[in-house]
Amino acid sequence: MIGAVNGVNVTQGASAGANAVPAIPLVVQHVAKSYDVDGRLVPVIGDLSLTLDQGQIVSIVGPSGCGKTTLLNTLCGLLAPDSGRISWYGREITGQPQNVGYMLQKDLLLPWRTALGNVMLGLEIRGVAASEAQDRSHAMLDQLGLHGFSDHYPSTLSGGMRQRVALARTLVNEPAVLLLDEPFASLDFQNKLLIESDTAKLVRKGGRSLLLITHDIEEAVSLADRVIVLSKRPTQVKAVYNIALGTERTDMMAARDSRDFSKYVRQIWADLDVVLQ
Amino acid sequence: MTAGTESGMDRATEAPARKPVAPAVRRWHRLRSAAIVLATQGALLAVLLGFWDHMTANNKQAAFMFGSPSAIAGFLGQMVRDGSLWRDTYVTGLETLLGFLVGNCVGTVIGLSLWYSRFVSRVVEPFVIALGSIPIIALAPIIIIWFGTGLISKVAMSTLSVVIVALVTSYKGAVGVDTDQINLMRTLGASKFQIFLKLVVPASLTDIFAGLKLTVGFALIGAIVGEFMSSSEGLGHAIFKAGSLYIIPKVFAALVATIALALLLTFVVGRIERLLMPWRRIH
Repeated sequence: MIGAVNGVNVTQGASAGANAVPAIPLVVQHVAKSYDVDGRLVPVIGDLSLTLDQGQIVSIVGPSGCGKTTLLNTLCGLLAPDSGRISWYGREITGQPQNVGYMLQKDLLLPWRTALGNVMLGLEIRGVAASEAQDRSHAMLDQLGLHGFSDHYPSTLSGGMRQRVALARTLVNEPAVLLLDEPFASLDFQNKLLIESDTAKLVRKGGRSLLLITHDIEEAVSLADRVIVLSKRPTQVKAVYNIALGTERTDMMAARDSRDFSKYVRQIWADLDVVLQ
Repeated sequence: MTAGTESGMDRATEAPARKPVAPAVRRWHRLRSAAIVLATQGALLAVLLGFWDHMTANNKQAAFMFGSPSAIAGFLGQMVRDGSLWRDTYVTGLETLLGFLVGNCVGTVIGLSLWYSRFVSRVVEPFVIALGSIPIIALAPIIIIWFGTGLISKVAMSTLSVVIVALVTSYKGAVGVDTDQINLMRTLGASKFQIFLKLVVPASLTDIFAGLKLTVGFALIGAIVGEFMSSSEGLGHAIFKAGSLYIIPKVFAALVATIALALLLTFVVGRIERLLMPWRRIH
């Protein structure tokens, strides 16, 4: 295992954020989860431990079907783990963790709401006054380059734009931690790079923490401070890499151009042990 | 010159014609294709009616058995003049509308609220299937005994014809909501009631409206069957009376009014659907 200790060269100081919280955002200890399939117990997560530090971006990569989504749903409190501990800011909780934003590959926009209405959803649920919710949502759409599209229904937006609206819906609630499950997997390369850069900017500027689940090794390396490689099912941590690319970490093209980028990608590829079946 | 180059030239000469079409032109194209459909439908109807009229024109027995379009038109004119057409259509329309509204409201509210509890929905499922399998016509005599021969019994018949369908379609819509979407609402901190209100109800609208369109006909059948059993007015009454007296063209005349009523109600439901679901108009 490489670099199991948290990254030293990560810009910890710059990402302390407005409200510095002493506790670590997310600590997962020896979590296991299995499914009951026709009376047979199928273990999905074997024994998994990981840590997400304040202001850090951590990517999780793993072979297809290794239970990444099960892991994410467990972290979100949508599934209960069979054993182990999940603590958010030092506390074990039941139900959904507060202040955590969640986004999937499917944009899950509500077709009957405009872009603005979709972004406002979370604020509306929390009872934020309508005018404030509108202002904040407008501002977030503008930041993500969707100025002038707030009155559009999702069916009239392109895939990249829809995913941006979904990102705006997540970020407008100002979550301290973001959990993203293959959020850019369905986008074309250009859109993907642009939206990755925007995500990195908004996350790092806001001092937020991000846990990104992806099967895209290049995406994992270019975005993250740390990459965790998972094994096949039952899932365990296979390797951990602290990514030091030395560049400014909000430009995805620069990150891909940096000297060590392909070295990390090659190592992780080897770890994944992908074989043709 | 070979065929290959010839077709290549064809393509070259065709290409400039494919300019972006102006919206006004596109609207004109749409109107024109709609007009063609309408004209074909009209022609088809005219041919059918013409055939019918021709076959019954010189054959008294056939005219008695099947009526004829001209005789039907005559009866329609007579019904307009004596005011019975409007009165009967109004009465049946009112019964249908009330039954349609009550049945759909009750059915949809129950259907959607079954989303709330998997336990309750599992408990009531066989009962719903059992109720749905009862032919409503079989209940008509009891309904007349319970609610009398007036408006209420027809509305009850109409309601019963509608309610189970509305319940099943709205429940189907509610349980069909994407689990990921529900999870997203939960991570946004939504309570079960908020999920219901902001996600399940609007997501079920498509299925609910499919049910509404389906139940227009059922509501009308319920009202007319109610009128068959016992009534003093309404289109069902007119059909029953004319049928008993062997005035077949008059039966058809009342049927024409019934069809017109069904088309009108379906049209209104379609309009409301467009109004309530503006996001489905844009593509």
